[in-house]
Amino acid sequence: MRAAAARVATGLAASTVEAWQELRIHKLRVLLSLVGVAVAVASITATVAAGQIAKQMFTESYETEGRPAHISISAYDDRNGMPLSVERVRPAFQTVAERFGVTYASARISAFDIKATTAGSSKRVELMGVDPAYAAIHRVVVPQGRWLEESDKESLSPALVVDETFLKKLGLQGTPLPTSVDLRGQGMSVTATIVGVTSMRGYGTPRAFMLADSLVHWQTGAPTDAGYEMWVPVEGADELAGEINAAMRAELPGLQVDAYRDDYMAWGGEDPIGPIKWVIIGIAGIILLLGALSLLNIALVTIQQRIREIGIRRSFGATTGRVFFSVMMESVVATVVAGLVGVLLAVAAVKNPLVEKYVLQGIDDVPPFPLSAAFLGLAVALAVGALAGILPAMIAARVKIIDAIRF
Amino acid sequence: MSSEELLRLTGVARTVELPDGDDLHILTSVDLLVRRGDHVGIVGRSGTGKSTLLNLLGLLDRPTGGTLEWAGRNVTDISGRQAARIRGRDVGFVFQQFNLLPGRTALENVMAPLLYASGKEFWQRRRIAAAMLDQVGLGDRLDAMPQFLSGGEQQRIAIARALVRRPTVVLADEPTGALDVETGAMVMKLLDQATYESGAALITITHDQNVAALARRRFRLAEGRLHPLAEEAAV
Repeated sequence: MRAAAARVATGLAASTVEAWQELRIHKLRVLLSLVGVAVAVASITATVAAGQIAKQMFTESYETEGRPAHISISAYDDRNGMPLSVERVRPAFQTVAERFGVTYASARISAFDIKATTAGSSKRVELMGVDPAYAAIHRVVVPQGRWLEESDKESLSPALVVDETFLKKLGLQGTPLPTSVDLRGQGMSVTATIVGVTSMRGYGTPRAFMLADSLVHWQTGAPTDAGYEMWVPVEGADELAGEINAAMRAELPGLQVDAYRDDYMAWGGEDPIGPIKWVIIGIAGIILLLGALSLLNIALVTIQQRIREIGIRRSFGATTGRVFFSVMMESVVATVVAGLVGVLLAVAAVKNPLVEKYVLQGIDDVPPFPLSAAFLGLAVALAVGALAGILPAMIAARVKIIDAIRF
Repeated sequence: MSSEELLRLTGVARTVELPDGDDLHILTSVDLLVRRGDHVGIVGRSGTGKSTLLNLLGLLDRPTGGTLEWAGRNVTDISGRQAARIRGRDVGFVFQQFNLLPGRTALENVMAPLLYASGKEFWQRRRIAAAMLDQVGLGDRLDAMPQFLSGGEQQRIAIARALVRRPTVVLADEPTGALDVETGAMVMKLLDQATYESGAALITITHDQNVAALARRRFRLAEGRLHPLAEEAAV
């Protein structure tokens, strides 16, 4: 068993050595025939990698708006088009969410013109009242501190989760949590406690989240600018939106209610660069085919010139299988080397500082080069090598040893 | 030298079918016994089947009649894979046209048979091949390309290559055919000495009586049979 394994390992190593020698001797022809393969592998790898990076970025960015399937609900008075008060709509929403067994449901109440003040700074901030489920619905990550909890509504000082812009603009960077901040404006005057910091990307205005219950409690005068949302399974989400719409209308008779899916998958944003990606992959496929054909063509011509050499190798004890494998390995080793070059070219193209600066501008955190794209490139190169090598290998294996030696 | 039996041919025949459907009997009944350390010379005119016999001896071809034994084992009908294994391990070929691999150095040519070996022979192929080239007097030409070497030097590389796996039988097909008389004599002396020292048997097929005369046992191939010419008393 061990001897057989050692023989196989030696055979593989020897075939690779033979293939490498053959390639070294015919450097120029190999190089010329492999340019196409390297270019095609580079195109395929770069396209797939760029597609994956873009998809990841778009997905992450879209999911902050609500993970699929995301149902938005709003209610207003049809007669004057005015939104309804939170006190009226929120209980109805909670009843409906409970009835349909929705685990992730949150209100989204906006409070404007709120000024946050610390010892050193005072800034206008965006404050939003939400339920704890908001974090799951919007994939909110809290690297520092924690997210809001149901028990926070009992606190006398309402818990606050802010973004990094908030910390920066109010001079709170490096301050240990929890820390206090005064919130004033629009009938609100309270000292809130910052319990967590999110990594959400803002648009320059400091953002803060508070429990909807706390916001309603501390803001005098009923807030009206409110929306409601749910995160439900994708399957059957459209039908569920319709049913929730009907249930909400039943809870709020005589009023207008809109419940609809608005996540990126609902409007076909699943693969943002889908069509372009397939065009580029199609073109790369054609380049690859041409590269493989030129490789095959040259290999077929050279194999005819190598019949005597094959005969000599057979006289050394090379079996038919070994001759077949060695000739195929020449093609495989060559295309894998070309594939490696192609993958490196693709990495250099996609992760180029210039590309990051001009093409992906405005993105703070560019995802790393996807390993799967690199492996795909190498696998494609390997497959092309094997396919282009089979025919010459078959011819080589069929060489009649006696005729070959006297060729 | 031991008298261990290496090769035994009994009534070996080789017939090929011609395009018109007729049979051509190249070898009709060849009997031959080769022992370790033998040097057998086979002479014959062109077309008498010398190369066909060499192909059969080297397991490159199969007889259509009779039996062929390798070290007491009947190998008349063995598979191509088994034949390749015996060939790689036990047979060294020296060809008239040297048949060196193009584009490879002298050392790489001698290393080539070791690519089909396993274990130490494979992993230490460079050292083994270099020592073999040194033995044939080409230790200073390891990296030389064969096309820049003389005919005699090229045939010495071929001899080193044939002997590098320490075969039990060396088959030489017109080994001096492409060399001048003086160089040919020198190459034959080297081939005879190197095979004798390694304990292998040497079978030389030639049309040159002078080359055949170096063999300790000589045969003439005619009408599909081997006819003894002279035999040393104690082989």
